[in-house]
Amino acid sequence: MQFVSMMEQKQAISLSDNTRANEILEVILAFARQDFDKKVIIRDDNNLLDGIGSGVNMLGEELQHSTISLREKEQLLKEIHHRVKNNMQIISSLLNLQSDNIVDTKVLSLLRESRNRINSMALVHEMLYKSNDLSKIGLRNYIESLTSSIRQSYASSDADIVFEYDISEEICFDIDKMIPIGLILNEVISNSLKYAFPDKKGKIDLVLKPLEHQYILSVSDNGIGFKSDFDVDKDSQLGIQLIYMLTEQLNGTLTLESKGGVCYSVLF
Amino acid sequence: MFMQIPENAIEIEGYYTWMGDDGIARTSVKPNIDITLEHAMENSKAVTSLYKGIKFPLLIDSRNIKSMSYEARHHFSARGRDVKTNAFGIVIGSSISRVLGNFYLGINKPAVPTKLFDNERDAAEWLKQFCNS
Repeated sequence: MQFVSMMEQKQAISLSDNTRANEILEVILAFARQDFDKKVIIRDDNNLLDGIGSGVNMLGEELQHSTISLREKEQLLKEIHHRVKNNMQIISSLLNLQSDNIVDTKVLSLLRESRNRINSMALVHEMLYKSNDLSKIGLRNYIESLTSSIRQSYASSDADIVFEYDISEEICFDIDKMIPIGLILNEVISNSLKYAFPDKKGKIDLVLKPLEHQYILSVSDNGIGFKSDFDVDKDSQLGIQLIYMLTEQLNGTLTLESKGGVCYSVLF
Repeated sequence: MFMQIPENAIEIEGYYTWMGDDGIARTSVKPNIDITLEHAMENSKAVTSLYKGIKFPLLIDSRNIKSMSYEARHHFSARGRDVKTNAFGIVIGSSISRVLGNFYLGINKPAVPTKLFDNERDAAEWLKQFCNS
């Protein structure tokens, strides 16, 4: 009889431990759901489960404060990207307003080029604060939005210019890469839209894919190509100089070809 | 074996605090108290009152501890605590005090050298090097 009683006692103890262990598990699960209202109740400081419960409580408190601090920092970062984008838009709008009073086509063109450069950077900040991952943005989305904006700026409504993309949706870059990539694309696409298609008809191919341990970015059009006497070193204007500088920023190399159209390739 | 509390110890709600003859200050957590920020601040005040112009090491007996709030832990690990003290030797025993002690070594790191011990003697032995330094 005594043996049975001890067995019962042991079962009762293990059942109680089991219940407490389950209580602790419930609290851990609540923390995993970021519900920090629950706490393990500490009953006896000599009990191992109390030690575990106490550790869980403290880890939960640290996690709660870290989560709050992380959220605040994310919010702040979003706010900064938002403000940078807004400020860039203001600059862009100011340039636009100034254009209204200018008749000189050369000056107008310079203002438009500057505006588009600013817009290509503003778009990076806009996409960053709208994305879940504040550090990276998907390249495909960015390039599609960017080309659409450049097209609106240059191509007339009756132009029949087709953009074709070969860009994996998985490719993501941080802001340090996105800004030079955006500016390079802005220059190259703007050049194509301005000079390659006198009959307002053509195609621009955009490719960005991994190549061994690097990436290759290429933009090619099927337009009229460079003039036969075009010399990159002598005839380059700010646009092409910018492309060279930005390629250096990417630690890349630029290849320029003109065979039945122009093709810029940046390996970085 | 818990610490002998001398008659001249400063008694506050959560702790007893006194200066030992060996130049090591001691503070012992009272049993069954959930240490809050108020307790922690009172404790800091009591420890600071032992200062006589030279920084001293502090032996913390946490074996009786039941729990300590997030704010209290952060108060103890903040720089304010190390103004008059130059090292902490924390005596641990119960499972809760072991957890708490390890929080001090990892997450809530104090600004002065800190070590965990199983008994008062070893803690005092280690803290001796910080006396009059």
